Amino acid sequence: MKLYKKTGSKSLIANNNSLPETRRSFLQKLGLGGVLAGLAGFGWQSFRSLIPNVLYEPPQRFKIGLPANLAEGVTFLEDKRLYVFKEGRSFYAISAACTHLGCTVKYSKLNQPKQVEIGGEKKNIPFEFHCPCHGSKFYAEGTNYAGPAPRPLQWYKLEVSPDDGQLVVDMSSEAEQNFRLTV
Amino acid sequence: MRVTESTKKLYDKLTWTWKPSSDKEAGDAIVKNLLLHWFPNKISKASLSWNYSMWLGTISFVLFMILVFTGVVLMFLYVPSVERAYSSVKDIEFVVSFGWLLRGMHRMAAHLMVAVVFFHMVRVFLTGAYKNGGAVGANRPLNWIIGIILLITTLLLSFTGYLLPWDQLAYWAITVGTNIARAAPLVGEATRFFLLGGNTIDQNTLIRFYVLHVFFLPMIVLLLFSYHMWRVRKDGGLAVTDHEALDQKPEKIAPVKSKTYSLLGITNGTTVHVQNTMVDEEKNTVPSSPHLLRRIWLVTLLTFVATFVLTIIFRAPLEAPANPAVTPNPAKAPWYFLWLQEIVTITTVKIGAFTINGALIGGILLPGILLALAIWWPYRDKSGLNSVGVWFAKERKIQNWVFISICALIIIFMLIGTFLRGPYWNFYWPWEAWPEMPVKF
Ligand code: FES
Repeated sequence: MKLYKKTGSKSLIANNNSLPETRRSFLQKLGLGGVLAGLAGFGWQSFRSLIPNVLYEPPQRFKIGLPANLAEGVTFLEDKRLYVFKEGRSFYAISAACTHLGCTVKYSKLNQPKQVEIGGEKKNIPFEFHCPCHGSKFYAEGTNYAGPAPRPLQWYKLEVSPDDGQLVVDMSSEAEQNFRLTV
Repeated sequence: MRVTESTKKLYDKLTWTWKPSSDKEAGDAIVKNLLLHWFPNKISKASLSWNYSMWLGTISFVLFMILVFTGVVLMFLYVPSVERAYSSVKDIEFVVSFGWLLRGMHRMAAHLMVAVVFFHMVRVFLTGAYKNGGAVGANRPLNWIIGIILLITTLLLSFTGYLLPWDQLAYWAITVGTNIARAAPLVGEATRFFLLGGNTIDQNTLIRFYVLHVFFLPMIVLLLFSYHMWRVRKDGGLAVTDHEALDQKPEKIAPVKSKTYSLLGITNGTTVHVQNTMVDEEKNTVPSSPHLLRRIWLVTLLTFVATFVLTIIFRAPLEAPANPAVTPNPAKAPWYFLWLQEIVTITTVKIGAFTINGALIGGILLPGILLALAIWWPYRDKSGLNSVGVWFAKERKIQNWVFISICALIIIFMLIGTFLRGPYWNFYWPWEAWPEMPVKF
């Protein structure tokens, strides 16, 4: 400051120099900011377009036929990866997707039913589910007991369709392990 | 007459760099030729030696080139559609002339590249070559990190590649792979949705992985590779030359001729740093043309022949078409992911009533920690200049052993996964027969 006060001309030059300088750097920042904002917006829009808004996937809720037509015991619905059980007049459905990393578990019938304790209750287990990928094992009602699977197999709600009496599975709503649909 | 003369001229033009008649011509070749420009004019004999670098980096680049070439041809033949992918691969294998060879070479080069890139990293670690020597402006730690990203990209390229035939291996690999991604806290669910392009493995998924495989990931490799190579020169060449410079006896140093070039503000500083750490230049270096070029061609030829022969010996398998209902038993990842498969199998932890999925620990946390360690290591490693560019330097003994142990563990897990795991991922000795497994429900 003091230097400039000594001679008027110098201060004039300094002023002349400093003014456009700040304006220029401001515009520079503005321009750069604009470019960056543009790029960010462009990037975001490209990224967003990759998250689908409409899915053409099979529905989560579907009919699986009349209760009377279902075979007694177990039926495997291949394309839905679903085990449907019929015990007399009661029905329930267990998912075949392993809770570890999603492989399809295999139903395997035991030569001899075994006695196990699940949650303090003694139960007779006639069959089990085994996973081929990392060797998880599940009891008949889906409880995991060996291997890396962290949770029991998922159960799904069953309903009877009011229009034609078919069984309806809703794979978007989970059911408790003691869920039974009696018709 | 004229034709033969011009052919000879053309031939000379194409080959003169392999047999320059004078030092000047050798230097000119490097300076004038765009492709050769990223080589130094002179190269130390030590960095040419087979037993220092084993040429693993060069080999992986040659493999990448084989992959690009065969891959582009395959792009004409393969259809990335859920309905047609499998049959188009089958056509490539059984109908297209030499299609099996094309696909086989592509697959074999990919397998080899994963192995070679991995061993390249091991080599760099064991020779302490991620450490800076004396060169000005060197940043080898950065190049090590670039290298790690290149390794991961190589793995991702393989992963996205074996999904494309849409066979059982592909389908179950995506299932398991994206479920591991889902195990990530907070972002997991969204990441899986993004990768699959929905909730189910479908056309959206296939086209995503296809574009990643043929465009995005190769682009990343190309860009990073160029930078990787540029950095090697900026860092003063291979680390072994730094070590050689340290070995010079002080009395041998001749007075250095110095010249100052003004750079007119093009770069920082006022002089060109001619990064010549070599003192006995005459004794220790040879012109790059033809010595380096000749070796590169030799390595290229050998790599190509090895890939070709291996392809003929080990024919590429193709599993049954993708079937969401039946998981193959055992369902095995390719060998380079089997250690991860082994780890996600054994890392599910139970704390009271609480269970943490092995996918989080073995699939995300553990690889993440390994990765973070690898990236951090060059900054953590405080060993001295003497251990740069030497195999198994005494000063780096402990860290080398730790590193070898980690690698050995990974390899042991791979071997267990390959040879000792049978149906339901049960443990079997090689001489034990696997039980018969029904394929259907
Ligand atoms: S997916 Fe079933 S045990 Fe891993």
